[in-house]
Amino acid sequence: MAGIPHDHYQPQTGFERWLHRRLPVAGLLYDTLVIPTPKNLNWMWIWGIVLTFCLALQIITGIVLVMHYTPHVDLAFASVEHIMRDVNGGYMLRYLHANGASLFFVAVYLHIFRSLYYGSYKAPREVTWIVGMLIYLLMMATAFMGYVLPWGQMSFWGATVITGLFGAIPGIGESLQTWLLGGPAVGNPTLNRFFSLHYLLPFVIAGLVIVHIWAFHTTGNNNPTGVEVRRGSKEEAQKDTLPFWPYFVIKDLLALTVIMVVFFAIVGFMPNYLGHPDNYIEANALATPAHIVPEWYFLPFYAILRAFDGDVWAVQLVQFLSFGIVDAKFFGVLAMFGAIIVMALVPWLDTSRVRSGRYRPQFKWWFWLLAVDFIVLMWVGAMPTEGPYPYIALLASTYWFAYFLIILPLLGVIEKPEQMPATIEEDFNAHYSAKATPAE
Amino acid sequence: MTLRTKTLTAALALTISATGFALAQEGTTTTVPMQPADAQEAPAEGTTFVATPAEEAAPVETAAEEPAAPEAEAEPAEVADDHGDADAEHADAGHDDAAEDHGDSHATAHIEDIDFSFEGPFGSYDQFQLQRGLQVYTEVCAACHGMKFVPIRALSDDGGPGLPEDQVRAYAGDLLPIVDAATGEERDRVSTDHFPTVSGMGMGPDLSLMAKARAGFHGPIGLGVNQFVNGIGGPEYIHAVLTSYTGEEKEQAGSVLYGNSAFPGGWISMPPPLSEDRVTYEDGTPATVDQMSTDMSAFLMWTAEPKMMDRKMVGLVAVLFLMVLSALLYLVNKRLWAPHKGKLKH
Repeated sequence: MAGIPHDHYQPQTGFERWLHRRLPVAGLLYDTLVIPTPKNLNWMWIWGIVLTFCLALQIITGIVLVMHYTPHVDLAFASVEHIMRDVNGGYMLRYLHANGASLFFVAVYLHIFRSLYYGSYKAPREVTWIVGMLIYLLMMATAFMGYVLPWGQMSFWGATVITGLFGAIPGIGESLQTWLLGGPAVGNPTLNRFFSLHYLLPFVIAGLVIVHIWAFHTTGNNNPTGVEVRRGSKEEAQKDTLPFWPYFVIKDLLALTVIMVVFFAIVGFMPNYLGHPDNYIEANALATPAHIVPEWYFLPFYAILRAFDGDVWAVQLVQFLSFGIVDAKFFGVLAMFGAIIVMALVPWLDTSRVRSGRYRPQFKWWFWLLAVDFIVLMWVGAMPTEGPYPYIALLASTYWFAYFLIILPLLGVIEKPEQMPATIEEDFNAHYSAKATPAE
Repeated sequence: MTLRTKTLTAALALTISATGFALAQEGTTTTVPMQPADAQEAPAEGTTFVATPAEEAAPVETAAEEPAAPEAEAEPAEVADDHGDADAEHADAGHDDAAEDHGDSHATAHIEDIDFSFEGPFGSYDQFQLQRGLQVYTEVCAACHGMKFVPIRALSDDGGPGLPEDQVRAYAGDLLPIVDAATGEERDRVSTDHFPTVSGMGMGPDLSLMAKARAGFHGPIGLGVNQFVNGIGGPEYIHAVLTSYTGEEKEQAGSVLYGNSAFPGGWISMPPPLSEDRVTYEDGTPATVDQMSTDMSAFLMWTAEPKMMDRKMVGLVAVLFLMVLSALLYLVNKRLWAPHKGKLKH
């Protein structure tokens, strides 16, 4: 692999040499595991391992769940209860899988916000970022379709509302919605195709995860200073880095284990806390739940979707200018997807030459406001659209777009960054100065 | 009618309770409100009991049941007004006359938390409470509610009601017959079958998952703190509905609705199912409305989550194991990094 110079795999035994000439798999594993990693990584760099673990957990529990699940509108709900009551350990499998999705999204949001703060998306890591965004989109699609499978009330009505978004696209919308659903409304064909795709997409995600890792192993990890590892020679690089194994493997495992304590406490003691009671009622096309609320991890974008209703002047203006093609409903859909697209484009919207937010005094404030904004959106997404909530949602949605489209481009021009350390080694020794003997 | 009679026979077989039979029969003739009749019979016995967590539930107790209420529930007035938030919701209910008997406002959509034995990481089901709940279900609720997802054999599972297997077999045989999927013929239910499916006009929703399908606690302001602290509150909600009848009735579109301050909207189509001494508990526990409601709620939590004990055990073992592993990894990590952090010479 290109990038930071380090020792490469040398086959030792006869068998290794034999295999290496035919399939250099040991070399691939070796180079992946000993990849030089900036030694000043902080605890926000552990979410990648947590995410990898989540993907494995979801695939393994999911495969076993599939052995007992029946994707049919008359049998799906009962088969989930069969898993909960009759299958050995089935209740754990299902609760691990359901709460695993929540852990997955907790981790991915922290992972994304880590990248936003430390500028991990900036050159030369744009491809890593874009692949990451694709993974995130696929995660949302997978989670959404997985939530439909138990065929409870929220499954059914959530599917109805979300696929209805595609129906809002002018012209082709209704045909597209029918095509997605396999019929005029959510029904057995919908359940079957969602099941199929819910099984397929995690493997697509796994493939993209390999690309994601490949990409940042090529560029090297970012780090809290945003200063690149010195690459003049192996010796120079070794002053800034430590090999991934064992230093970061052990560190990441420690973090993962601590997170697992919390995770298993939730699964063991309050597994339905993050769920919705309505999903323990079998789907019924004739009874609409009082409040259709998506899972918590969709709420920020659901809030943006609902924020732009027909009362907002910008929506009215766009509707007027587009001769009514872009109505309030379609505007909301565009805003929701737009919110993710502007985030995906951040490598080109952020004009600052300084990578890490640590050395950007003004950026810090705007960033933390964005983090608060995200939480506000998540909260307001679960509230009814009455009283003060629509205004809060509108304000928070506006800030989301303003951050990416106005603040980041301007900040790079007007902000005066602070002094950065010259090397990663300098930053590391500043933290752990005790005896800054020349390393190695 | 065969459906109902059969259920009642089953009820009889389990507990041999004559009063239970009489009242259950009355309960199934849906539209006739029954409180006035049985309320008068009750008060004599309500006074001697001990041993229930019922006291806190008093504020949601209601006028309709009140004539029969034992001392523990008799004077809830001092707490009842804490929850004025629901007043608006019931403004149209015309309940004033019903409530004035006790100077008690029943306008409390607020759900009282109940300290169930199964709550918390170390909580476990009270086997005898589940058995009492099963008795209430069989003698009262089963007339109109099925539990199609619950296998009858689970009644003998550890962590559940824990009935002996022969008793479970006898119980299964007394339930409604089932159409055998293989032969297409009707046969007696066996313990590997599920509880009956009950549907049709005037019948209520399936109760298998009711305790997980309702939330008793919300908020505040959408933050989920109450559910984090108190649990989601499904059993508490069931208890509140069973004990919050106001005694009012109204006819709407040909069916009778009953005032219920815990039910969303204030009107429920289920006639008040419980009344003082509706069942006679075999273990001698006084069958107050509150007691029966609490037992029933606990029983429905078990039907909804029969593996809760196993799950908590797995959770506990996993958490303890992972804490030890975390501690070990912490030490390994510290040792591993020490030379590079200048804390240890090498």
